[in-house]
Amino acid sequence: MVSGAETEGALDDEIDKPDGAGFVPPAIIARYGVLTALTAAVTFATFIYFAPTKGYFNMGDSMVFFCAFAFGWRAGAICGGVGSAVADVLLGAGFFAPYTLLAKGSEGLVAGVVGRLKGGCKLAKVFGVAAGGTCMVVTYLLCEVYLLNVGWAPALAEAPGNVIQVIVGGTVGTLLAWYVKRVYPASGAL
Amino acid sequence: MNAVVTAQRLPVISLQDVSFSYEGGIEALKRVSLRVAKGEKVAVVGGNGSGKTTLAKHLNGLLKPSSGKVLIGGQDSSRTSVATLARTVGYVFQNPDYQLFCTSVEEEVRFGPHSMGLGRDDESALVERSMKLMGIGHLREQSPISLSLGDRRKVAIASVLATSPEVFVLDEPTTGLDTVESAQLMATLDVLRSEGMTVVLITHEMRLVAQHMDRVIAMSEGSVAFDTEVEEAFSDSDRLRRCKLLAPPITVLAQRLRAQGALSKGAATPLQLVEQVVRVRGERR
Amino acid sequence: MTRFNDLYSEADTFLHRLDPRVKMASVLMLSLLAFIMSSLAYLLVLLTFIFILLLLARSSYRKTAFAMKFVLRFMALIAILWPLFDPSGTPVLIRLGPVVITEPGIWRGLTSAIRVGCLATVWYILIFTTSQRDLVRGLVKLGLRFDFGLALAIALRYFPAFGTVMDSIIDAQRSRGMEFEKGNIFARARKYVAVLGPAIVSALKTADMLALAMQSRAYGARRNRTYLRELRMRLSDYVALATVLAMFVVPAVAKYVLSVPI
Ligand SMILES: Nc1ncnc2c1ncn2[C@@H]1O[C@H](COP(=O)(O)OP(=O)(O)OP(=O)(O)O)[C@@H](O)[C@H]1O
Ligand SMILES: [Mg+2]
Repeated sequence: MVSGAETEGALDDEIDKPDGAGFVPPAIIARYGVLTALTAAVTFATFIYFAPTKGYFNMGDSMVFFCAFAFGWRAGAICGGVGSAVADVLLGAGFFAPYTLLAKGSEGLVAGVVGRLKGGCKLAKVFGVAAGGTCMVVTYLLCEVYLLNVGWAPALAEAPGNVIQVIVGGTVGTLLAWYVKRVYPASGAL
Repeated sequence: MNAVVTAQRLPVISLQDVSFSYEGGIEALKRVSLRVAKGEKVAVVGGNGSGKTTLAKHLNGLLKPSSGKVLIGGQDSSRTSVATLARTVGYVFQNPDYQLFCTSVEEEVRFGPHSMGLGRDDESALVERSMKLMGIGHLREQSPISLSLGDRRKVAIASVLATSPEVFVLDEPTTGLDTVESAQLMATLDVLRSEGMTVVLITHEMRLVAQHMDRVIAMSEGSVAFDTEVEEAFSDSDRLRRCKLLAPPITVLAQRLRAQGALSKGAATPLQLVEQVVRVRGERR
Repeated sequence: MTRFNDLYSEADTFLHRLDPRVKMASVLMLSLLAFIMSSLAYLLVLLTFIFILLLLARSSYRKTAFAMKFVLRFMALIAILWPLFDPSGTPVLIRLGPVVITEPGIWRGLTSAIRVGCLATVWYILIFTTSQRDLVRGLVKLGLRFDFGLALAIALRYFPAFGTVMDSIIDAQRSRGMEFEKGNIFARARKYVAVLGPAIVSALKTADMLALAMQSRAYGARRNRTYLRELRMRLSDYVALATVLAMFVVPAVAKYVLSVPI
């Protein structure tokens, strides 16, 4: 990705810290882009209309947990958050996208941190799903009540659906991370 | 003998006036009627977007006709689930990567018969047999996803074969295979055919059609342009051109020679052509 | 998944010609406007205005119908469900065990439905009239880092493709006897793995291929990337921006400074 030997060292330094001012290496850009697309596609493909506020149940959480467990908190937060938000826009619920970005982004981030403790053992994954899921459910709840002003009743009515989504999504996401590590070790999934 | 022939000629699949439109509104099949008899080897050919895949997906109920009727082993596809129809018709997708998901080749091949609930012994026998037929026994422990394209395709075919369908539908199974591998695959299909299986092959490779298939169904813009024996299919070059097809060089050469009166029959392979020439020379001596 | 079509269609309307940044700002301001208005009548006016804009986007009948189906279903759901969950106020119209339906509840439900209708529809105007390239370029011009913008462009570009991939995988598994409608939730979870697993592997392979393509086109060779066609604000863009700004500021001032109920 670097032409010219003299710039190589400098860019390498920047690449080591993707949060800095340098370019993120193309392999990461491509992987994040593609996983974001897949998260959006899965969310889009599997939604069922549900509660009065957000309005759909989907399998998108399984992709959020997969990204977090397989590729870490950064992928969980970015691919999970942005992918779910993109799906909202494309589903015509664009006004929900900012909340989704927050809710799913935090879910992926927390699941990625907790779920990979101790090399990502089973217990860590269980806690990762629980902690990440709690973040998502609570964020949606607070956003709906305090930012969208829908009142507690409709917001709470949606929470059980979100909890089921987390349990199913967490299970599938964990299985997926294990599966990809097994069949496609070249991907570097943990 | 005669009774056997009649029994063999019962249609396993029959389409009556089938039309189909995708949700977007494209009419991909227009009043298609055809019958496939038990034990036939049928090639479905035609240009890109002519409706071959759409037709094939009707043969196992993945798509249900917008109008008209599809009968599969006597069952109306509109009223029967794909899972039930899958016992009669096995369908191999164009891209093996859409099908393979298990962590080992053996598990992958076992998946189909297992989910159809065949007995355990039957299951293992079928799995072993299809792995042997496709020559992938030595890969059984490996992860299917990391295999080469040729091997992945073989695993995909074996995993459908293991469900022991009566009709075997393959969508462009030779794309991406080298000549040796596609020849092997065609030889395997010949073996299956000799055991009484019906084979429907979608392909762009006319040479394989000429060598291995009995009947040709040509699609053009969603309709059946012609449906004939393989000999006749390649005899009308104008008609072929209209369907965006081209006869294989050997067939064309044999036809030209025959038109000149140099041969008495057509030929589909170099070997057949040589035999013809030798025979004619023998007669003339 | 029904095959996803890019909702953007090529056309030459004033909405298409508008700078993507102006359109994004307009979506934001019209959304905020829907939030600050609480009167059913004013919200209806806003919804009508947004619908007219949607028609002016001159999208195909099919795409407009697709969008409207989503929006109207949302609105109907909210209008129906809201009164069931909101028992406050009088007069009470229906009392059935724990379910209490009141007249103010119904009005609040309608108001909320129309507000959500505004919020949802206004996004479609942006999506109908702005190509993905312009969307990403607008975001980059607004300060999104170029490489993040590239990742977003990749995501938008591959989204429909992965929808098709998942369709094909589902079909392939169904032809092997897998029945997605059967089994309890955990049996189904395993079936989802059979669909999402191959989808992820194919996605990761796509990513590897893309990374190679990016390297071979000298991605990252220079820091300050230039574009062939730069975005430039024209007079019409400023006029549009000012109009929308006024549409937002005037009611906001009326409500919060002059305490006019709107
Ligand atoms: N899921 C779909 N939704 C809408 N239109 C489709 C879909 N799949 C195929 N089509 C359209 O239907 C027509 C027939 O497509 P089909 O895939 O059957 O062609 P094909 O003969 O198999 O082509 P190829 O040789 O490229 O595989 C084409 O015009 C295609 O664009
Ligand atoms: Mg095809």
